[in-house]
Amino acid sequence: MEIRLSSVLLATSLLATALLSGCGWFHRGEKAPAQVVADEPQSEPSIIEPQVNRREVKTPKIKAKDFELGGYFGAISIQDFGTNPIYGVRAAYHVSEDIFLEGFLARSKAGTTSLEDVFPDITVVSDSGRRFTYYDLDVGYNVLPGEIFLGRGHAFNSAVYVTVGLGDVKFADTDQFALNFGVGERLLITDWLAMHMDVRDHVFETDLTGRTKNVHNIEATLGLTVFY
Amino acid sequence: MRRLLALLLLQAFNVGLVHAKEQLLEVVVSEPYLEMHSGPGRGYPVVYVVGRDELVTVLYSRTEWYKVRAPRGQEGWVRRSDLALTKLASGEPAPIPPYPQFSSHRWEIGAGYGVFNHQNLVTTWGDFGLTDSLDIEFVLQQALGTIDNRYIASIGMRHTFIPEWKWFSPTAGIGTAYQYIDDKVPPKPLQTNNQLAYVSLGARGFITRRFMWRADWRKYVTFTNQNQNEEPEEWKFGLAVFF
Repeated sequence: MEIRLSSVLLATSLLATALLSGCGWFHRGEKAPAQVVADEPQSEPSIIEPQVNRREVKTPKIKAKDFELGGYFGAISIQDFGTNPIYGVRAAYHVSEDIFLEGFLARSKAGTTSLEDVFPDITVVSDSGRRFTYYDLDVGYNVLPGEIFLGRGHAFNSAVYVTVGLGDVKFADTDQFALNFGVGERLLITDWLAMHMDVRDHVFETDLTGRTKNVHNIEATLGLTVFY
Repeated sequence: MRRLLALLLLQAFNVGLVHAKEQLLEVVVSEPYLEMHSGPGRGYPVVYVVGRDELVTVLYSRTEWYKVRAPRGQEGWVRRSDLALTKLASGEPAPIPPYPQFSSHRWEIGAGYGVFNHQNLVTTWGDFGLTDSLDIEFVLQQALGTIDNRYIASIGMRHTFIPEWKWFSPTAGIGTAYQYIDDKVPPKPLQTNNQLAYVSLGARGFITRRFMWRADWRKYVTFTNQNQNEEPEEWKFGLAVFF
């Protein structure tokens, strides 16, 4: 019974297909009339109900951890104004295993000049002007990648890098264009946590002490960053 | 029945939990072996080798290196080109996303140095490509001079003449800008806020991976409320990352 029924159905569908394709041949380029499709027997329930649950295969994406974010603190020698503590934040993007782009934002407060120490009545810079703030945009290159060994059982990935960049130093209530040159070491405590040791020189032109000159403000800092 | 339902629920929950926690890509080594290095760099030694048909879990990537976990728990870094030779369990090639095409990239972010009207210029920009050759550029820059400091924000359209030229491709653009002048030396400028318009000519080129350079020359017209408009010039060069 079932076989007969299915063969009838098969014949009908074949006929329908033939009709449809025939129509298609003559009406190429036109829209097929809808009534031909409607000729299919509707009262008879279809015997094979295809229950195809499409399996959605989602391949997980690989997370890229190319960004590095962190903070640092240390000492900066502000030329003519003594050595003072400095603290700041840094963010980097690693373009390749060699090159990275980095931004810095930091703040310090200058001390007094020797002149002010000797003659306490003289003030070279006002109190609010002693605030030393900078931002830097740098490009860095990992020149010496390698490993650091701590005893027998521990090896940490590390890299000695050089950076060069430009930015703005705000000191004595004025903004100055500043270049910076640095060398540093990144030591990866884990693959996502890094310790930095940096020495950087911020060079800018100023006439604070009477004559126009380039001042070098060298900082030595220790930082901690997270890769994400 | 209730027990079955509870079991099913628990199972679903469990699967969901596992799924949410560990959605990591797993690939099968299809080459004779896969080398795992101790660090994400060309010089780091090979510390482990995974054999053919073994399953490797990809944890994350850093630049062109991928951190993976071997079946027995060892972790190491695999070069991108090596990982690209692995396959999914279904036999398809591993879905290592390709680097964006430089000629048709959409986003770009960069910074650089320039000279604006004899003042040192720090420039940063963001770029969105509408088509391969037409993009909108947003620029924020600070010009630091001896007389004043200027903050300039601009928005404009840029046309890249031949985007397929990889190493050097000329560009041209127009746009509008707004500047704020912060004077250093008296007297105070007559106007501290101005609107500007500019035309630009420039070039761009590919360096490596996602890295590129851009150079630009701009001629501005500063709209002032005096008899004459100023016409400052600007040169700049910068490095950018594209996505």
